[in-house]
Order: sequence, then C-alpha cells, then structure tokens
Amino acid sequence: MSMDNSGSVPVPERHPLVRLSRVLDRGLTLAGMVGSWLAIPLIFIIIFDIVTRRFLVLGSTKLQEMEWHLHAALFLLALGFGYLRNSHVRIEVVRERFSQIWKARLEVTGISLFLIPYAALVIWFGLDFAERSFSIDEVSSALTGLSHRWIIKSFVPFGMLLLLLAGIAVLLRNLAYLVLLETGQTAAAMELSKSLPELRNPEEELRAAAAQEAQAIRGEQ
Amino acid sequence: MDTLITLMPVLMFLALAMLLFSGFPVAFVLGGVALGFGFLGLAADVFSFIEFFNIISRIWGGVCENLILVAVPMFIFMGTMLERSGVANDLLHCLQVLLRRVPGGLAMSVTIMGTIMAATTGIIGASVVMMTLLALPVMLERQYHPSLATGTISASGTLGILIPPSIMLVIMADLLSISVGTLFVAAVFPGLVLASLYIVYLFFRTRLNPTLAPPLPASEGPESNAELVSMVFRSFVPPIFLIFLVLGSIFAGFATPTEAAGVGALGSILLALFNRRLQRAVLKDVVARTGLTCAMIFGIFIGATAFSYVFRSLGGDDLIHAFVEHMGLGSWGILFLMMGMVFLLGFFFDWVEITLIVLPLFAPIMETLDFGTHVAAGLVIPWVAVLIAVNLQTSFLTPPFGFALFYLKGVAPPSVKIQMVYRGIIPFVALQLVGLGFVIGFPEIALWLPGVLLD
Repeated sequence: MSMDNSGSVPVPERHPLVRLSRVLDRGLTLAGMVGSWLAIPLIFIIIFDIVTRRFLVLGSTKLQEMEWHLHAALFLLALGFGYLRNSHVRIEVVRERFSQIWKARLEVTGISLFLIPYAALVIWFGLDFAERSFSIDEVSSALTGLSHRWIIKSFVPFGMLLLLLAGIAVLLRNLAYLVLLETGQTAAAMELSKSLPELRNPEEELRAAAAQEAQAIRGEQ
Repeated sequence: MDTLITLMPVLMFLALAMLLFSGFPVAFVLGGVALGFGFLGLAADVFSFIEFFNIISRIWGGVCENLILVAVPMFIFMGTMLERSGVANDLLHCLQVLLRRVPGGLAMSVTIMGTIMAATTGIIGASVVMMTLLALPVMLERQYHPSLATGTISASGTLGILIPPSIMLVIMADLLSISVGTLFVAAVFPGLVLASLYIVYLFFRTRLNPTLAPPLPASEGPESNAELVSMVFRSFVPPIFLIFLVLGSIFAGFATPTEAAGVGALGSILLALFNRRLQRAVLKDVVARTGLTCAMIFGIFIGATAFSYVFRSLGGDDLIHAFVEHMGLGSWGILFLMMGMVFLLGFFFDWVEITLIVLPLFAPIMETLDFGTHVAAGLVIPWVAVLIAVNLQTSFLTPPFGFALFYLKGVAPPSVKIQMVYRGIIPFVALQLVGLGFVIGFPEIALWLPGVLLD
C-alpha cells in the first residue's frame, strides 16, 4: 500500500507510456490466446487422422501437414505473449541480486540490443522467405499435401513481429517505471512495478504463483 | 588477425555464456549473439549476408515443418491438464492410502507418483513445484523428517525428464536424428532402476529409523473395502490406463509419438470431464499454460537454431573437432568430458537450454564415438542420450545450485531450511551416481529393451 501524503492513490496507468504498453499488451494477449487455443483443434485433427488412417485406411497427408501447420502457428503466435508474461527462461543467478531499477535498465538494454534487432532481422528475411513461396505458388512436396504454403510460412515473420511488438510493450512499461522514478513519482513507480513480472524477485514470484497453484491443483472438492 | 578470425566461434561461445548471466531471456540472447557475430563475420569476410536467409530456412525446416515436434505441445497439454484437473492430486492421495501401512509409505507414494506422472510437462521448475505443493504439506503434517521428505520430492519430481513420455527425450531424439520411440524405450529401464533404488533406500532407511517416517494412523483413508476399491477405480486406474495407452501404443509400434501424444491429450480432457473438473476456467488456464510453455521452448529452439548456424558457419564445428582430436582422449575420455560439461551446465541451465544449445555441438562428436564390444555401433547415440538424461537429472539435484532444490525451497513452508534440503538430497545424489554407473557399466539396461521391442 502506498503512503502518499495527498491521500490519493497513484495511478501509473494514466502515464502515456503505460497506456500505449497496455494497448499493445491487449492485442498481443489476444493473438497469444488465439494461438494457444489451436491446441484443441490440433488434438482433434490428430485423433481424426488416427481413426481414418487405422480404421478406414484413408491416410491423409493433408491432415498430417495440418498438424504441423497448427503446431507452428501455435508457438509463433504465443512468442510475444510469452514475453509479456515473463515465461521465457532467464538465468537468474546474477540477476536476482539486482535492484528493481537495475532490472528495468537491464530489460531496456536487452530489448534494444538483442530482442529488437534479432526480431527485425528474422522479420526481414522471413518476409522474403514467405514472398518467395507466394511468388512460385509453392505447394507441398508431397503429391497429396496442402497447397498455399506461403500462408503458414508468413507466420514466421508474423510471429516475430508479435515478438517485436511485445519487446516494445515491455520496453515502454519499463521506461515508464524509470521515468516515474526519475521524476520523483515514487509511489506511482512502486505501484506500476507490482504489475511488471520481469521486475519481480523470482523467489517472490514463485511463492505468489504457488499460492494460486496450490488451490488449482487440489481442485475444488 | 587471422587467429582472431579462427577463434571467432570461441569468442562467440564466451560472449553467449557471459551474456546469458545478464538474466535477459535465453531465447533472445541466443538470437542477439547470433546476429552480432553474423555481422562480425560479415565484417571479417567469413560470413555472407545471404546466410541470414538460410537461418530462416533452418528455423522453418527444423522447428516448424516438423511432425515429430508436434508431440511437444500435445504432451505439455496432457501434463498440464492432468495436473490442473486434480487427476494428479487424486492419484497421489490414492497411492498414499494404499501404502498407508508401509513405513515410509508417503515417501514411496511420491516416488511412484513421479514415475507414473512423468508426463507432467517435464519442465523441472513446474514438476518440482507441483510435487512439492501436493506432497510436502502432508508429509510434514505426518511428522516426516523434512530432509527425507524434501529429498524424496526433489528426486522423484525430476524423474519426469528421464521417464517417457518426456518432452526432453522427444527433443533430444529430434536433434540427434534418432527415432523418438527408440529413445523412449531405451529410457524405460534406467528410469525404473532409479525409481527402484529410491524405493529400496526409503524402505531400509525408514526400517532402521522409523521416527523419520511414522506410518499413518489406521483410521486414515476410507472406512470400508468397498470404498477403497471404488477409490482405486476412480483415481488410480484411469490415469495409469492413459499412460499405458500412450506408451504402449508407441512401444508396440501402433502409433507414432505424435499420434500417441494426441491421444494422451484427448485422454487427459476425458479424465478431467470424468472427474467433473473440466470447467471453462480450467480449460482456458490449461490452454494458456500450454501456449506459454511452447513459446518458451520453441523461442529457445529458434534462437539456438540461429546461434548454431552462425557458429558452424564461422567454423565452430571444425574447431571443436580439432580440439577433441588434439586432446587425444579416445572415446571414453570424450564421453566423460561431455558428461562433465553437461553436469556443470546443469547447475545453471534447465534441460531446454542444454539440449538445444549444447547437443547440436555434441552430435557430430557422438557419431565418431566407438566403444568396441561394450556398445554396438548403431546404439551408441541412444545410449549416450540416456546417459546425458540421467546425468542432467543428477545435476539438477546437486547442491548448492541444483535447480530442483531452488524450486522446492521456493514453495516449501519457511520452517523448511535450505540446509535440511541439502542434507536430504545427498543420499539421492549418491543413488543417482549409482544408477548412472549402472547404465555406463551395463549398457544393456538401456539397450536391451529397444533390441527386443523394435526389431
């Protein structure tokens, strides 16, 4: 709880950088969840493929190709979503000793030096990759496979674009935190930092997640 | 200048190692280092711009257009669903009731649970957290010694990376170009040997010192036998049946691992439905967690693909070969060198990073290994892969860094001190080393079953 003298609750959410970050967050979460839900049709396509293959001896290359199409779309759509939720693995041995300010600075540096150039490069060549496929109207190398290979190939640059946008969203929210601190709005910065998973101590986060998890896995009996 | 260019892959690796410790996500550090050294290579005229395009082709062919890897999201979904729908919890409870009269029964039920539920996602952090939350409170409440309790939980919770269906084995098989089925089958006995070692240890330890693990009061569990039977049929039989269905269909050659994983995922939904726990919120949660875990794994997969491509292109493979030849170690020496490296890396990295970054470097060396009559030539790779798996599990348990211990301590009640966790794990690390020694000394433990089943 913040101890602001004026008595008003600090609202970091009004900060323009935070607002922009939240807009991106919403869009990327939607894309990530759409990708994640693809797991369900994937299950049913595999089952349908097994049933028709084993029992009706149909054997469809189209179904099998659809399986990896969905798998690729699933993780590519979720890449950015994963970064927003801080589920990409980090080596915490050194970082866990950093203060929140240094964590925020590190995140800003990492995004600018690594994430954005890397994502931009893959987008650039990925577009070329998808475009070549489109221009020759590439189809499956198997006779009975799926056509329109460019659609799924475009998911490579698209997924990386989502990752790039996620990088920008995380960059903005960390910049906002640093700016708030810099301008003396400590209470608002503290409030904001609570919603930034990348600034939390891994041990604290583990405990917080565990409390929630304990309830879920025991089930409501 | 020329030496500098020759040594570029070494510098690249050192840069990676240092930058990973910055704590920025591994997936993006890999990508960033690949990009940076790609441009350095361009400047030194040993890398061409068009090669960046080849990286995309590699990512496409290796990670996207790959029917084997479809098993990964499906196994993750299955494990998460079994955990989130309470099936895992019911199974553990049922095992506890069944073993309630045995000294150390609670600890043994945890080991058996770890063996059966190896399907649970297979990410060390997630499995250990789940096992700790499920089992530790009960054990402490029943006056189990905290060291014994935490040791059992960490060791059993990490068995999942070794015992099929483990997603680590799927990815290892894919990277080493061997069949997933073979590697699954090869890992069965080593996994069971370890689980048996744990149980034998728990049996004797609790016999010699019953105060460590008091048996449960007779009043524990259902009143009548009819209730007990109904409990077994409700919570024990269905998940066991599902796991046997998944593994059996792979081992019998009826289904590919991808197909079996799909069946497992559907089965986990049906089990949740059967337990009346398939609420919308649960399904949404499982789906989101599956998506996030896949993003994490394949994010690193993509980054590691870019990294290995640039590393190779700069001559990294040749350098490793030259180095290994220069050392003149022979096959056994190389094996122990690799095992030592994997063990050390396991202090800091989860299997996802180790398999994806280091295994591609080891793969060409592994192909040259020759153990004469000890291991048949065609079976060296599955054998070494199993050794690496056991080795990694040991590394996750070894104080003071052990990954599993960190996660266990993180979610254990504050009364459990880290010293107790360290003390409790030592016997299990010793058992791991015994198990590892067995598989090294008697490769048949891993290789007999594939020979029988898959011929």
